[in-house]
Amino acid sequence: MIDVFPAATRHSADLGWLRSQPSFSFGAYYDPNRTGFSVMRVCNDDYLAPGKGFGAHPHSDMEIVSIVLNGLIRHEDNLGNSVVSSFGEVQRMSAGTGVIHTEFNASETEELRLLQLWFMPRERGQAPSYEASRFDTAKLQNALLPVVSDQGLEQTASIGQDMTIYLSKLEQGKQLEYEGKPGRKQFIYMIEGQLLVHGETLATGDTAQIEAAGLLAFEAKEAAFFMLVDMP
Amino acid sequence: MKTTFQVKHAVGGRMFLDTNKEAVPYTLTPQGEGWLFTVHVPWSEKIAELLAHKQELNVFIFKEFEDQPTLKTWYYIKDGPVEYDTDQESLTIAADSRIEYYPHEYSV
Repeated sequence: MIDVFPAATRHSADLGWLRSQPSFSFGAYYDPNRTGFSVMRVCNDDYLAPGKGFGAHPHSDMEIVSIVLNGLIRHEDNLGNSVVSSFGEVQRMSAGTGVIHTEFNASETEELRLLQLWFMPRERGQAPSYEASRFDTAKLQNALLPVVSDQGLEQTASIGQDMTIYLSKLEQGKQLEYEGKPGRKQFIYMIEGQLLVHGETLATGDTAQIEAAGLLAFEAKEAAFFMLVDMP
Repeated sequence: MKTTFQVKHAVGGRMFLDTNKEAVPYTLTPQGEGWLFTVHVPWSEKIAELLAHKQELNVFIFKEFEDQPTLKTWYYIKDGPVEYDTDQESLTIAADSRIEYYPHEYSV
């Protein structure tokens, strides 16, 4: 079963310094019927103005992943981490028993675009931790490249949940397949382009929630950049 | 010094209690290795929502001073318990641990 949520039906917020399209309830936007999917609680496509960002605030018991799509993000936390990441880099913060952090656009001239993703952890009450990882952007081409995983894969950030996040850039007309294992769920976010998934067309900003699909077939109707998340 | 007590939903920040907006009597006392908030507040939809998200709460005390930066204290609730006594119109929130921080110490 595949449920498609077109970009036009999603909420969008414009705070001046931040433009955001949340897939699920977040901030002032609250829809009791849209509070998450599987272990995913937040999927925000955020655009931050130069030099702007989220001031010091806490989190607990949440696996938080930031995928930079454009620009530079500066992360700072009370664990002593201070890291600037760009496209090709992913940061994962396991909030556990508590972490205080800031996230800012590290550029004074360029807009930052990032996917902000939150997942419920496998276990609550763990020690907080942070990791920044780097992947080879050339490997995104016509492949599903894991960038976050609990499987200890190369060039992936680890995560405290039974899940994997893939990114892919599929050239027009190219096809890919993904085997959805029994009992697993998949979430797709169309970063850019147009993609045929299991007979459904997804365009920029669309999301899809998939259950019990078995073999998933992807075909790029036009050049497509998308994220696939495989979860319990 | 001005003290503010807030309880928010940790996912997205929906506010459930904010003494800046609506004064509610509360106490904060040490309990075991943690702390116990006792809040005297009538039952409302907000309290129902708070209880529905009791494993996802951000609880804060902000202390604003005239001559020094604001001190924020965040309480980790973990498994609480977070309970409401309808007879006493009393909400109790047990916190497991806490982190004190000065927002200005983080660069922007």
